[in-house]
Amino acid sequence: MIEEEKFFAWLDGELPADEAAQVEAEVAADPELSRLAEEHRAMATGLRNAFGSVEAQRVPERLQRSIESDPGEKVVGLAGARASREVRRAPSLWVQMGALAATLAVGIVTGNMLSSGFLPSRSSDPIQTEAGRLVASADLENALYAQLASAPVETGPRIGLTFRDKTGAICRTFEDQAASGLACRESGDWRIRSVFQGAEGQSTDYRMAGGPNPRLLEEVDSIIDGEPFDAAQEKAAAVKGWR
Amino acid sequence: MESSQSFERDLTQLLPRLRRFAHTLSRNPADADDLTQATVERALRSREQWQPGTRLDSWMYRIMRNLWIDTARARMRKDRYEAPEDEAESVGHDPREALDASLELKRAMDAMDRLPDEQREVVALILVEGFGYREVSEMLDLPIGTVSSRLVRGRTALLAMLSRATDD
Repeated sequence: MIEEEKFFAWLDGELPADEAAQVEAEVAADPELSRLAEEHRAMATGLRNAFGSVEAQRVPERLQRSIESDPGEKVVGLAGARASREVRRAPSLWVQMGALAATLAVGIVTGNMLSSGFLPSRSSDPIQTEAGRLVASADLENALYAQLASAPVETGPRIGLTFRDKTGAICRTFEDQAASGLACRESGDWRIRSVFQGAEGQSTDYRMAGGPNPRLLEEVDSIIDGEPFDAAQEKAAAVKGWR
Repeated sequence: MESSQSFERDLTQLLPRLRRFAHTLSRNPADADDLTQATVERALRSREQWQPGTRLDSWMYRIMRNLWIDTARARMRKDRYEAPEDEAESVGHDPREALDASLELKRAMDAMDRLPDEQREVVALILVEGFGYREVSEMLDLPIGTVSSRLVRGRTALLAMLSRATDD
């Protein structure tokens, strides 16, 4: 009779080749051991399949959010930011990150500043000027249309908060290395409401360096009606074409 | 820097597996997701302790297992006595079905839940998660012989629970 632990080590593929061959021969010659091996294989397969169904499930939003709401990230609850701003004594990490971002993001960029070269317009910039108006680049427009904050992308503009303003329009904050800002849906188009210069060159990790610009969030705070959309509301709004 | 982004990306990619492991340790899906969330939060707080170049999955599993030992388990045990045991007795009622490859999650969780903790984690890591004996001994700081013997006891108990009458 094979030692029990050796039998299972063989079953689990943990034995060196020569020992494995030896055990295999013994098991093959012993119907009871063969049956035991089959039962354990079937049970292990059953367990893997049963728990494998978990792996195949959609990951709950709250788990995804727990990664995204890491202080270095920008997808944060505005209510949380508000609350921590009211409690000045104990600024949250998030607010501290915002302060860091403020030292890196220098000032509101207006259309004039843009066209005067303050923020050189390049194809990679999220904002471009067209006939004296600030317009979203193709990348940004795509992001504003299609990107969900709950499904972040690795490159290009990233969407932060989505919410309805007091006029009923849907607005979304965005951020990339060059800039962060706010765009709202007007007349079936994304209109850029504001742009803050980003922290390009300060760090390769724009999520850390850019962070949520506090002035952007102040602006959001001043025009928002209610609370920012949660993941489900964001998705529903996308399906309805941001109306 | 770059590693900060890839850390979060890798963490995100690990979520399905982390949830699976949490389900093998926990009594019910809600506890499992609480455990997963606590693990992610702990990992984000401790990210500087992770050595790039080493396996993030092993590191995360270890965090999850330790959290489960430290805190979640106590709470889950408490819950156990407060929650109705409505479905626990279905374990083993139909051994043929229980041995089938489509062994349902609930039944699997109930069976795993009946194992002693030290056997459950070893069974989960090796039979479900697919780690090798050596990897598990390193993850749990246990001699490989201890891992091996716990695994034998755990899987033997599981088989007894799930398939008492396979030779009928």
